Amino acid sequence: MKKYVESLLTVPAADRDDSRRRRLLNILLLGTMIAALIGLAAIGIDSLTNPLSNPAELQVTLFGAIFVTVGVLGIYQINRRFSGQWAAFLFLLLLTIVFALTDTPINLTEGRSLFLFTIPIIMASLILAASASFLFAAISSGIIVYLSLSIDRVVNPFGIIGFFMIALVSWLAARSLERALNELRVINANLDQVVIERTRELAQALERERIEASRNQAILNSIADGVVVFDTRWNAILVNPALRGILEMPTELIVNKNFSDLIEHPRLSPKSRQLLYSMMQHDTQPPSFRIEWDRKTLSISAAQVYDNSKDGNTNIGTVTVFRDFTREAEVEKLKSTFVAIVSHELRTPLNAILGYAEMFKEAVYGPMNDKQVNMAERIIKNTQRLLGLINDLLDQAQMEAGRLTIQMAPVRPADLLENLHSVMDQIAQAKGLKLTSEIDDSLPELLNGDGARLQQILVNLVNNAVKFTEQGTVHIRLLCPYQYKWGIEVSDTGCGIPEEQLPQIFDTFHQVESSETRVHGGFGLGLSIVKQLVNLMGGEIHVHSTVDVGTTFLITLPLVVPAESPEKWRNL
Amino acid sequence: MSQLALIIEDDEDLASIFAEAMRGVGFDVELVADGRVAQERLTNGVPPFLILLDMHLPYISGADLLTNIIKKEERFAKTIVIITTADARTGEAYTEQVDFVMIKPISFVQLRDLTSRLKPKEQL
Repeated sequence: MKKYVESLLTVPAADRDDSRRRRLLNILLLGTMIAALIGLAAIGIDSLTNPLSNPAELQVTLFGAIFVTVGVLGIYQINRRFSGQWAAFLFLLLLTIVFALTDTPINLTEGRSLFLFTIPIIMASLILAASASFLFAAISSGIIVYLSLSIDRVVNPFGIIGFFMIALVSWLAARSLERALNELRVINANLDQVVIERTRELAQALERERIEASRNQAILNSIADGVVVFDTRWNAILVNPALRGILEMPTELIVNKNFSDLIEHPRLSPKSRQLLYSMMQHDTQPPSFRIEWDRKTLSISAAQVYDNSKDGNTNIGTVTVFRDFTREAEVEKLKSTFVAIVSHELRTPLNAILGYAEMFKEAVYGPMNDKQVNMAERIIKNTQRLLGLINDLLDQAQMEAGRLTIQMAPVRPADLLENLHSVMDQIAQAKGLKLTSEIDDSLPELLNGDGARLQQILVNLVNNAVKFTEQGTVHIRLLCPYQYKWGIEVSDTGCGIPEEQLPQIFDTFHQVESSETRVHGGFGLGLSIVKQLVNLMGGEIHVHSTVDVGTTFLITLPLVVPAESPEKWRNL
Repeated sequence: MSQLALIIEDDEDLASIFAEAMRGVGFDVELVADGRVAQERLTNGVPPFLILLDMHLPYISGADLLTNIIKKEERFAKTIVIITTADARTGEAYTEQVDFVMIKPISFVQLRDLTSRLKPKEQL
């Protein structure tokens, strides 16, 4: 019912203002029609209950009511189908005419019904146009003038002035109302625009987010490594499809489960279980480690995830990446077996050559002449060189395979120097060089280090220094340049290294000028190995050199004093 | 009086060089070329004055011989043990358990000088 009335009243129009006016007009038309119908009903009741009424008057009222009803229906149709403005004009005109006919001319021009004309005047500015009130003031004035003349009376100027005053007030009111409405409409339109823009932005942002999320999902899905995201309580909240292939079990058994369920899986070796538990406890775990899963070797790396967006750095979980490392592990094992075999199989015959040559030199089986001894010495020297090269190559191979590890244990710096002298003194003397050494008082008697590798570094540096020095001294100094650091300094009075060559001297297989190789021999691996060893130990190597004056290498290493060392060194 | 040195080394050439070096300083030398024979010899024979033991042997490793027989049995308490290995790491691991560790390559002169120092002075 309400909807039906609503549909009757509503006039569809492009202009909302127009639509509003036409709807208002419809309401007025409805009201007028109801009034007319009530009038008709009243006439009917009156004629039945009061037989004395004037039939002529009744007739006029009846016709009037019917005229109004028909007029209103007509205007309604015009308003609906044709034009709101015309309809409004006709309606107001109808009202004015009806009012002009409802009372006697004297009452209309001077008496009680004069005010009736103000109704269409005011309404004109509301439903037709703001200035239309003047039109109807004029029409009403015309009617009054006509009526006054028809009854031979002087025209009432106050009525006409009143009409125009009311028209003026209506016009002003309607105009300001229209302006206010316009302003409101502009604000509304702006608001609408803003809402549209915001909605579009929001939609775009959502779309972007959706694309991003699906892209991330696609990336996660296409990663060959298994990825598991854990929350802070180690419940798996996200698992990518690759994990299924790596662990050879359905991901449903992992996702939404606690990590400990997976760790307890029988396919995992006990040692791997321990590693994973220590990872869960955020122990001082390495960034990546290997576990045994059935016959597979898996490399696992775990990283904490921090959310910077909230205040502070909140840990929101852990991302773990499972990589199938089986093949690489096999290759590594092969490589290390190869290295071990080569190191043994090459060194053993060389050792035999060395031993037999020494026996020649030492005249084990009878006296030798000088030339024979000299020849034996040459065999020994070359064999030693070959052994040195093999050692360098093996070290290099091991370092490339990442298998060369540093094993820390308490080391006595004085022992390092003593061993060095026992190896190098003879070689230096043979070249007519002095090999001197000193230990700074500030250096602890005992420190943590890899004795064998430190010895190797010293031998390599000193060997190098002796090789490139023709006369003078090679000096070794063990020092403690500043807190938490200790150092090895090897300086010589040799040929020096041209400045432009300095950056390359630590490169693998590098020697200053290739012609030098023929003079001094070697692969140029020595310094490269030294640098790699120093880096493995967490230290640095620096070189300072002046051509024809000499070269100084300085190695600085982290100083860690073993717990069992004397008290005085511990609080450095 | 001469002393017995037992050389357990699978490489024939090295064994002969080591033997020559030690004979040179006056040891009686006995050679064993593999782990199984060495086990047999150590279990049933007379404990030698000195053992030169290669860690890398066929059948039974030098490390096993060292741990399961030489270090275990009271008979070897006075025996001087020198191990030889090509791997410095292996050598380091045994420094506490044996008298000397020699890293290959082993020099004839070096071995001769060392064993000469170890040999008890002969009574004149």
